[in-house]
Amino acid sequence: MTPAWALGLLAVLAACRQDEIATHREPKEVPPASAEAATRPAGPRWRVPRGWKELPGTGMRAATLLPPPAAGKAEVSVIALPGDVGGELANVNRWRGQLGLPPLAEPELAGARSRAGAARVYDFTGPGAAPQRLIAGVVEERGTIWFFKLAGEAGAAAAARPAFREMLRGLRLDAR
Amino acid sequence: MRDKNVWRRLAHALSSLELTLACLALLMVLVTACTLLQVPLGTHRAVQSTVRSPLGGLVGGVLLANLLFAQFRRLEFSRRKLGLWLAHLGLALLFVGEFGTALFQVESQMPLEIGQTKDYSEDDRRTELTATDASDPRFDVVTAIPDSRLKRGGEIDAPALPFTLSARRYHENAELGMRRPSDPPSEATAGIGPNLLVRPAPPSTSDDARDSAAILVEAKSRGGRGLGTFWLSSALGAPQGFSLDGRTWRLALRPRRYRLPFSLTLEEFRHDVYPGTDIPKNFSSRVRLRDPGRGEDRAALISMNNPLRYGGKAFYQASFGQNDRLSVLQVVRNPGWLLPYAACALIAAGILLHFGLKLRASLGARP
Repeated sequence: MTPAWALGLLAVLAACRQDEIATHREPKEVPPASAEAATRPAGPRWRVPRGWKELPGTGMRAATLLPPPAAGKAEVSVIALPGDVGGELANVNRWRGQLGLPPLAEPELAGARSRAGAARVYDFTGPGAAPQRLIAGVVEERGTIWFFKLAGEAGAAAAARPAFREMLRGLRLDAR
Repeated sequence: MRDKNVWRRLAHALSSLELTLACLALLMVLVTACTLLQVPLGTHRAVQSTVRSPLGGLVGGVLLANLLFAQFRRLEFSRRKLGLWLAHLGLALLFVGEFGTALFQVESQMPLEIGQTKDYSEDDRRTELTATDASDPRFDVVTAIPDSRLKRGGEIDAPALPFTLSARRYHENAELGMRRPSDPPSEATAGIGPNLLVRPAPPSTSDDARDSAAILVEAKSRGGRGLGTFWLSSALGAPQGFSLDGRTWRLALRPRRYRLPFSLTLEEFRHDVYPGTDIPKNFSSRVRLRDPGRGEDRAALISMNNPLRYGGKAFYQASFGQNDRLSVLQVVRNPGWLLPYAACALIAAGILLHFGLKLRASLGARP
């Protein structure tokens, strides 16, 4: 057998390696002893505020956080998306559109922004007799953008705001 | 007669020193290109597109053929030349080892949090689509379809599944965003897909960044009833799915998993620094290795340059994170990992023997 034939055979064998459809049993994912939420994708870690409840991720959500019952309803959604997801201005204006607010222009974006630790924070309240409020913390880590959004009735969101901002300030970014 | 001449000329060309020099020059060009391309392409893609490209393989193959032809045609087979034969054999073995590594080596990772046990490693440069029957409360039954099959597209008929899947589009890397009213309608009909805008993106060039693959997949029952078209992505956290005949099915795209017949549990991770400084001194992971098939249940320490070798794989300390609560092990399967050592030993033995024989002859010739 010439070297060329031998190399060709090796290439075919290499191409076939471990590339078949396979069915097997897997244990249900068991949370590690140390991690408070192993089901989350890798990314920033947060400390759930005292008295709040964390629900596992569903659909696009990595997690849902529920503040203690207050006057009205509010909740925090945690969503991770790769890339720039259309840019920060587009996201901010999408949130403002959901609240019934007019869009911002690029130069106005910095004025609408505050910081809590590593997070850039936007806080908008909609118009009307029963206004909705949205407080969003945006954190970027290794090409993925994490959105922490506290949304709900304005009164409930205001009650949850201090603990939410404290949680954003305490976000631990992955050290890898 | 003419055929014989052609073969003779070919053998002469293959054993020529000019060919050796040309191949070595080409290899130098490839290595230089590989070094320069690491900036725009990242290390992995630079290596794959230069020294481990078909051209790199061809140059290496010709050089190996050149070495063997020169050896068999030019080098006399005698005890006097035994050292040179050994050294050349070692050199040829070094080439074969590199081909073996390029073709058969599989690298993956095993991130472990303290207390966590895993019996698989993950290849984050590849993906697999998983269809999981999550109906049993004790375990999941997972059918994994590798990305090589997904990229071919078309209908995927896995006998273990009571439905078929059609891979309609596969993006190696994609940007996901929320769909706006002005965006064109989504092709997905179920799960989170109708709310998503999925745009193909160029592959990542940074060594730290990972691509987020995405696939548009349609599920149909064996009777042809549509079960939904889903956008799946390795960037989406929770899986999506449907119910069929009273069973709950989840679909997801995740990093390709390589299952192991044994498990590792991270018991302790140490990140030592030099006293009084933040300068790292050592990273180490103490793991428990359990292999019921071989009756193994023992602790092992993995530290930098001190891998755990077990079951045909080497587990290296690669990275860490989460305030030292996460250890990332690099898992390398390379069936030919001993070849470079054997090759170097042969070359060293050959050179020593050759110069030893020369020295003895030289000393013996003195008056």
